Amino acid sequence: MAEIDIHAPGVEMVKSLCYFCHANCGVLAYVKDGDVIKIEGDPDYSNQGGLCCRGTSALLHLNHPARVNHVLKRVGEKGEGKWEQIPYDQAIQEVADKLNQIKAESGAEAVASAGGTTRTDDWARRRFLNQFGTPNGFHNALLCWIPTFMAETCVSGWSPFETDLGAARCLILWGMNPGASTLPGMHGYTDLQMNGMKIIVVDPRYSETASKADLWLPLRPGSDAALALAMLHVILYEGLGNGEFIGQWCSGFEELMGHMVDYSPEWAAPITWLEPEQIRTAARMYATNTPGCIQWGCTWDQIGRASTTGSHAIALLRAVTGNLDVPGGDGMPGPAINFVTDEEMELNELLPEEQKAKQISRFKLTSWPGYSIISQTARRQWGKTLPTEWFCEAHGPSVFKAILTGDPYQVRALICNATNPVNSYGDAKMTLEALKKVEFLVTVEYWMTPTALFSDYVFPAAGALERPTIVTHYGATDSLMGGSRAIQPKYDRHTDMTFWRKLGLACGQDPANWPWETEEEAYYHIMEPLGLPISNYDEFVSNVRMYYPPLHQKKFEAHGGFWTPSGKVELNSTIMQELGFPGMPTYIGTIENPIDTPELLDEYPMVLTTGGGFMPYHHSEHFQMQAIRYLYPDPYFSIHPDAAEKYHISQGDWCWIETRRGRIKMRADVQQEVDPRVIFCPRGWWFPERDGSADLDNPFGCLESNVNTLTSVDAEHCDPMGGSWANRGLLCKVYRVHDADNEFTAKDAQFSMPGSSNVPGITVMPSDQPLAREPIPFEKPQPTREVPEGFEWCWQNDALYQKGTEFRLDESGWLIDPKDQSYVDAHTGWVYVAAEEVLLDKETGKKYTMERVEIPYLAGVRGYPGMEQAPFEVPEHLRWNVEAGYAMLPDRQLVYDPNSGWMLDPDTGAYHDAYYGYKYDAATNTLLDENTGKRFTMDYQPVVE
Amino acid sequence: MTRYVMVIDQRRCIGCRSCTVACRTWNDLPLDIVYNPVLTEGVQGEWPNVRRNWLPTLCMHCEKPACVPCCPTGASRKDDDGTVWIKYDQCMACKACVNACPYGMRQQSHLRPRLHQYIQKCTFCRDKRQMDPSAQPYCVLTCHQKARVFGDLDDPNSEVSKLINGAETFRLMEDLGTGPQIYFIPDLGGTAQ
Repeated sequence: MAEIDIHAPGVEMVKSLCYFCHANCGVLAYVKDGDVIKIEGDPDYSNQGGLCCRGTSALLHLNHPARVNHVLKRVGEKGEGKWEQIPYDQAIQEVADKLNQIKAESGAEAVASAGGTTRTDDWARRRFLNQFGTPNGFHNALLCWIPTFMAETCVSGWSPFETDLGAARCLILWGMNPGASTLPGMHGYTDLQMNGMKIIVVDPRYSETASKADLWLPLRPGSDAALALAMLHVILYEGLGNGEFIGQWCSGFEELMGHMVDYSPEWAAPITWLEPEQIRTAARMYATNTPGCIQWGCTWDQIGRASTTGSHAIALLRAVTGNLDVPGGDGMPGPAINFVTDEEMELNELLPEEQKAKQISRFKLTSWPGYSIISQTARRQWGKTLPTEWFCEAHGPSVFKAILTGDPYQVRALICNATNPVNSYGDAKMTLEALKKVEFLVTVEYWMTPTALFSDYVFPAAGALERPTIVTHYGATDSLMGGSRAIQPKYDRHTDMTFWRKLGLACGQDPANWPWETEEEAYYHIMEPLGLPISNYDEFVSNVRMYYPPLHQKKFEAHGGFWTPSGKVELNSTIMQELGFPGMPTYIGTIENPIDTPELLDEYPMVLTTGGGFMPYHHSEHFQMQAIRYLYPDPYFSIHPDAAEKYHISQGDWCWIETRRGRIKMRADVQQEVDPRVIFCPRGWWFPERDGSADLDNPFGCLESNVNTLTSVDAEHCDPMGGSWANRGLLCKVYRVHDADNEFTAKDAQFSMPGSSNVPGITVMPSDQPLAREPIPFEKPQPTREVPEGFEWCWQNDALYQKGTEFRLDESGWLIDPKDQSYVDAHTGWVYVAAEEVLLDKETGKKYTMERVEIPYLAGVRGYPGMEQAPFEVPEHLRWNVEAGYAMLPDRQLVYDPNSGWMLDPDTGAYHDAYYGYKYDAATNTLLDENTGKRFTMDYQPVVE
Repeated sequence: MTRYVMVIDQRRCIGCRSCTVACRTWNDLPLDIVYNPVLTEGVQGEWPNVRRNWLPTLCMHCEKPACVPCCPTGASRKDDDGTVWIKYDQCMACKACVNACPYGMRQQSHLRPRLHQYIQKCTFCRDKRQMDPSAQPYCVLTCHQKARVFGDLDDPNSEVSKLINGAETFRLMEDLGTGPQIYFIPDLGGTAQ
């Protein structure tokens, strides 16, 4: 246990990034002889040297004996746990052959892929899927940011997610607990709070963060939409909004006032369990302490039916208080104009339209129908758009249902990359059955998870220290950060980009579409347009590390509007209307709640909330590592002492928690941490220490203490817009585990509705199920004027956009490129360069006159062929060559550059003086007569040798 | 003179226990030993008027340590800079010091062979500081919240001096007269302080 000397000879320091959660803290890895001997937090990165439990365990993770290190091919029955180790490339070829066979028999859409968060280069996966031809890639995106992002983009043109806290006076942490999930963020909040910023925490649990808050709103789990609507009502009807901002930049204010009239704090009080006065206090605190920020929290996307309604209302809170993209408010970065975005890496143009239509999702906002409209608007306004990974995906639970029911078609193959769906997706029982049933299952994993157990092939994945890491925030922002690879992957581990690339090539995809062999090459391609003084990716990490564009707030002023179709902040969203949704947030309750479903209260009296992040785990990860597991060895749920007394539960008792969909076992943590009517359960539990194959109804105990056994993914329970399923605000009951009833069996977990705990299983096909809300009919207005061919008319702002490029047709007849507001010739696509009065073809670099005649350039000097008179003053002894368009010496082929006053040799680019044509020699600062070999000084005096 | 102390700011601690894991990882501790547990009484008060704070601990590196004079072999020692530590090869694990320490901060691993036993405790990362005198203990480095601050109290410009002189602090069981060198800044709640 001697201290490791990091200054010893042969030890190299590599700037790496942690990859165990979204915070991506800086890590210094000390490498000797190709192995990492020690890691430390990077004191010069945003984490200031800090590393949490997970980060400090990176070395344990790297060398853990339970890691999957070689490709495992199934040789026994599914789940039997009998494997054969085979070489990586052989496995890739076998998988590719099987996928190609399925594609030939059932179409590419029969292959789906589930992804995980923050371990992967998702553009590489989409690049594979697009070339393969399937639209069915998905993540847990719908529980995490994406519906919110899309709603916010409908309102204001991009998600205002980059809080500018330094200048903020008020911060709302809504359904977010950075004290247990993103510690670098918490550090910043604490610093600012000590300098006077007010922090409002909205959380039904007295979380780590709530214990430091200035105002804490312990609302009923799942009632966030009601609280947001009531706060909006208070701000509007007490006149606390920013009138100037609303008047100048917003549309639909009158309609919003009318729409919000009923959502008073008194209306919200019984729904949220808050006093009307508490809601008023919070609304006033936020609206009067401007500028202020609302930090996005996962909760918004996990309420199920009411998710997007809530985040839509919160988006309006920001808008009416004028906190959008202003100093101290919520910044809207927009896509990266200066470097290659994730979207540009995805090759979306290769996915045929008819395949897009086959995407398994009924939730338009987050799949191709909504994405297309939002993306088109983004191209018109920003010039670039969102990636399709995350923002345009299949609906995960619907894909699992399709595996089980064949509705809308049979999904035959599933590739799981960095995810363990049984523990991370809703309705764990159904997910588990789907994984068992799917014909061909491939997993890319660190560990032997319940998902990997049922796989046909398990591929070993390279971890954080074995790969370079780039942080582009899912391609939704204009900054990037990077970390280097500390060591090459150990054993037969490969990075996910390598996996997809090898698989793509083995499937017969065009090698030209997979030009980068390593991440470093791909990342360098991403940042090359930045023009930084670097020649490879590792130089970027060691010299630059973080790229931020020059801070630009109030971009909407420079842009002349917001990035919505109408150019205004649309308080009544036209995109939402076009998709058949209400344009303004309209209240809808959670699937089970004391107000709407009081009949359930007799059986299920407690309100259940699930899914909060907790130290030291991330999602369903890290349970294998003893050195951190000892901090939190068993699953604990929180219950109020009064409720515990009522149900005869004492601290540490194992209890059953039951909803209409099943029951799980957890231990009681009896504390004043939650309301007496609330149960709080952590997410993701499974028991990797058990033998997975011993009980295939509950492998690795993956259902036994997994809250997703209790959640619902029924179509009617999902958010009709974004599709997120119901994780919070469910009804449950809790009782002690007794000796006679302490075994978890298969019947303890049921499929979510339809079906019941008595009649398990899916009894209604997904396509027969109604959505929670009927679509609102919408008819797109017809053009009010003639639309020229090749153009499209936008009804929101009465403008014409060129098809394909999405450039706006200006009244002057020019096209406007939104990226830099430059003028583009409508016929040729050439850009007008005002300084030179020429047209520039960006692809070839050639320049043209305003008459679209190509301009010759000799040695970088522009020629004016055919012009009778030189457009500049020609020195007296030079001759104007009308045919060539240059001023030249009578006897020599040198061209005169009016900008520098020198003559240039078109062949060599050498400088010559404009009187005799002597060549300039920079080394001696003399002029050389090439005919005689004589030298002259700069004022034509002969040089005496 | 140098007098190393640690200030623990309860206003900042959010109970993530990263310090515990970092100490264990980097000092390569066996699973049954924790140098610096983070203690909490849980949520106090009546819902919803509740409060909660955390008490990160470690060896108090006392001015007059009870654990040093009681050692029969001289393995338990105190440096001039205030660090209390154990010379492992002189320790025979008699546990006299374990009994003497009023804070319960000395431990013995039962995962080691019986004849290779010794007593272990926090040394303010003495090994690390010997290699690099400007180094900070691992629990301080790893803390995201910067709730642990380590430094020289005899240097009036050090951060610990400023914190101890600028805020109300307390020490654990001061009345025992051992002179603990870990100072705590209590959490009084929100920005009210």
